[in-house]
Amino acid sequence: MTGLRRVVGWFAPVLPDARVAVLRTVLYLFVLVDIHLFVADPIPLSRHPELYQPLLLERLFHLPPPNPVITTRLYAVLVVGSLVAAANRLPRLAGFVVAAAFTWWTAIGMSYGKVDHDHLAFVVALWLLPTVGVVRGRWRSREVSAQAGWVLKSVQIAVISTYFLSALTKIRSGDWSLTSWPNSFILTWAIVRRPHGLGQFLLPFPGLLRGMQWFAFLAELTSLVVLWLRGRALLLAALFWLGFHVFTAAILYIHFAPTLVCWLAFAPLERLPGWWDRRRASRAARATSAQVPAS
Amino acid sequence: MSTEVRPISRTGLAWRVVVALLGIGLLVNGSLRMSDDVWPFGPMSQYAFSPPADDTIVITRVEGRLADDRRVELPLRVSTAGISRAEIEARIPTIVADPSLLRGVVEGWSSRHPAEPAVRQVWLVQDVTQLSRGRPTGASRQELATWTVPR
Repeated sequence: MTGLRRVVGWFAPVLPDARVAVLRTVLYLFVLVDIHLFVADPIPLSRHPELYQPLLLERLFHLPPPNPVITTRLYAVLVVGSLVAAANRLPRLAGFVVAAAFTWWTAIGMSYGKVDHDHLAFVVALWLLPTVGVVRGRWRSREVSAQAGWVLKSVQIAVISTYFLSALTKIRSGDWSLTSWPNSFILTWAIVRRPHGLGQFLLPFPGLLRGMQWFAFLAELTSLVVLWLRGRALLLAALFWLGFHVFTAAILYIHFAPTLVCWLAFAPLERLPGWWDRRRASRAARATSAQVPAS
Repeated sequence: MSTEVRPISRTGLAWRVVVALLGIGLLVNGSLRMSDDVWPFGPMSQYAFSPPADDTIVITRVEGRLADDRRVELPLRVSTAGISRAEIEARIPTIVADPSLLRGVVEGWSSRHPAEPAVRQVWLVQDVTQLSRGRPTGASRQELATWTVPR
């Protein structure tokens, strides 16, 4: 019984509702960034019905082939829905509408031959955030709940899965060998194909590139540990992965922004509103004391 | 400052744990057995393959001849041609079989460059880089398909 309780407690720890409220604001605003910068092509792509190859998801739900009317409406739904949900209003209705619309939108963006892998945690977060329901007091909620904890833990698992599963995929694609990917020339291949980053200066050093592949592969393979870290160790791990993404962005022009923003599920976001209030209060206090001469 | 614990039922906890386990199961299954088709539960296959030390690396491009006889690149990005390189690369055999599929690139580029003369002809080309012991050696260029835009 205690074993079961520990499993449940791990998947659904009791955490502040305020963290979910702040995370909602950040992630729903990020939807707006995402549809303009990262998955920005569904509307132009939907003008090419001859290139459309529906994913399993679209076939399963009999989603109609995209056309500019559909994608423009989806865009409008996403903009309105995200703004409402970012304000922590109608969290269930607006949240599920955004989750469904964003999933379809992103699926369309990936139905013309290329599938990206940086949206897993973000899509998971959008589907789970509405389940917390109304957070009383929103950012300044004083409540804690397993409802909030389950969502946060699940997003954390999805973030780490992005790394760990990519190591698994590398092992699979290398015919179940642990060494074939890190010993390959994948970074050379990637840099030749994207010649504008800093990576071109590394092309004459295949040994160094191979060392970087081993480093990345081992980091991905051991990333599961992060799910059990706390405090300073967790902060260091988060900074390590942030650095990892900065590095890959610099040499390859590849960012994982939708995954990065989901790292915030690990952070004590619930402290932000209090910190902000105290800062404003102390500023106001200083302003008044400057006006009143000391007696 | 007082914190209150929001109540949760046994059922509420149970379905959450079941959903989490199912999700993890789908993800692991996707990584070990499935393809990109099952997005978002597919394998993290970006850059997950293992090119050999003597690999041939290709970059696919589209070039066009304009009405004033200039030959220009029609950069394969959504912002410039309405479609990206990866999407064209995924369709190379189809385009080679039916080069009129390049129409999408021509229309996408023309609508974003209204001041430029009309595109008369387009080519699907590849820059080929040969690796030798892990280092890039010479590069060459090959034409895969061409399509004359009907007037």
